[in-house]
Amino acid sequence: MEESQAAKDQNRAELLKFFDLSTDMLCIADFAGYFTRINPAWQSTLGHTMEELCAVPYVDFIHPEDRAGTLAEAARLTVGMDTVSFENRYRCKDGSYRWLLWRAHADFETGRIYAVARDITERKRGEDTLRTTAAELARSNDELSQFAYIASHDLQEPLRMVASFLQLLEKRYEAVLDPDGRKFIRFAVDGAKRMQSLIQGLLSLSRVQSRAQQATPTDCAKILRDVMDDLQIAIAEAGATVTCDSLPVVMADTVQIAQLFQNLIDNALKFRRSDATRIHVGAIRGADEWEFSVSDNGIGIEPQYFGRIFGIFQRLHGGSEVPGTGIGLAMCKRIVERHAGRIRLESTPGRGTTFFFTIPDKKSSA
Amino acid sequence: MVQTRRFEILIVDDNIGDVVLTKEALEAADRGNHISVARDGCEALDFLRHAGKFANAPRPNLVLLDINMPRKNGCEVLREIRGDEKLRNIPVVIFTSSEAEDDICRAYDLGANCFLTKPADFDEMVQLVQTTNDFWVNTVKLPRHS
Repeated sequence: MEESQAAKDQNRAELLKFFDLSTDMLCIADFAGYFTRINPAWQSTLGHTMEELCAVPYVDFIHPEDRAGTLAEAARLTVGMDTVSFENRYRCKDGSYRWLLWRAHADFETGRIYAVARDITERKRGEDTLRTTAAELARSNDELSQFAYIASHDLQEPLRMVASFLQLLEKRYEAVLDPDGRKFIRFAVDGAKRMQSLIQGLLSLSRVQSRAQQATPTDCAKILRDVMDDLQIAIAEAGATVTCDSLPVVMADTVQIAQLFQNLIDNALKFRRSDATRIHVGAIRGADEWEFSVSDNGIGIEPQYFGRIFGIFQRLHGGSEVPGTGIGLAMCKRIVERHAGRIRLESTPGRGTTFFFTIPDKKSSA
Repeated sequence: MVQTRRFEILIVDDNIGDVVLTKEALEAADRGNHISVARDGCEALDFLRHAGKFANAPRPNLVLLDINMPRKNGCEVLREIRGDEKLRNIPVVIFTSSEAEDDICRAYDLGANCFLTKPADFDEMVQLVQTTNDFWVNTVKLPRHS
């Protein structure tokens, strides 16, 4: 059926409206390299008037570094190859440049190129920022692993000298040292050894990131058995009974989950009361996570210390009461958070403590 | 088995304090050893190759090799020892302050016989050196050299 003139006019008017409204830059150019028609988005994006843009070859507005590439792309258009994704920089009225992403098609009957350009300057800036940030991150990671190496080697050596020579001094000159002299040497040796275990603690904390492994199916029941094997002497010494619910398989860094259980159980063993120690490991299925618990009937923790307890080198008990460097729970927190989980505790002084932590379970769609 | 010949040990370490401690520990373990010292990797290789002032150096039965040293580090020394057919069968024990996984892997890749981290505690140091000494001097069979 023939389209009426009125319908044609309306169609044309509608297309023109879209042409004027578009935030993308629409244009028609000839094979000689001039714009013949452009939409208002050009002016609002670059600041030049339409007359200015059409008065000179369009290549005049292109960043000198992008000219050769643009001419090559235009040449491809004139032999019938469409432009699908081409980027170049256009000069604005104020002298700055904006990145444009092009699609274009050449029509040989009319000798015209139809093209659409999108301003992608912000995206480009984002990409630049991302690249810079990634480079900075890589550098800071390098520095961190360098630090870890220094901590594992260079800082240990002088400490070893201090501790060992004091001990040698004590042995060799035992006869001429009085009890005070021997006591002073022991204080100094203890200090050096303590410093060493602090350095090792910091190092193991930094390894939570640097030695991280991919998440793999992790059988928590098996891990708990392994951890209890490792801790069997401490468990026997404490006369402790360790029980557990049936424990799930979760997607996690197996080595770190083992470390997590080990630190929490170790903690429960350390802060026991004198009577029969009981430790229970539980697991409850949540909506999209597992909540694990490690509870004990130990000395408990006053509520005002709940926040502090996960901090690095935070200790609630003097070295003479309970040994430790104050790194264990800080490490637990770091491991749980690396797995996008949460860790918290409930405790009653004199009754016992329960640590809860969550590990997201992504299998819910299965 | 009774050790009939003097057991030659070469300590390669730039830290004089460590050298003294290791010697003390070795002497506490076994007075029958003869101990020589090289203060860095270059000196160690000169010693092993009888170069310069080491023309009359004995061939060690065991090398205790530190890693971090100036001029030539322990890994470079180990690589040269294993690449030298006259030296490659000398047992080399890495004896270092390092516990770094990278160092451990590299040392074994290059053919270290074992990797020991120096303990901070002097008594543990004596014990470790004693165990090492017992193993390498009294337990293992080593190739004979004329």
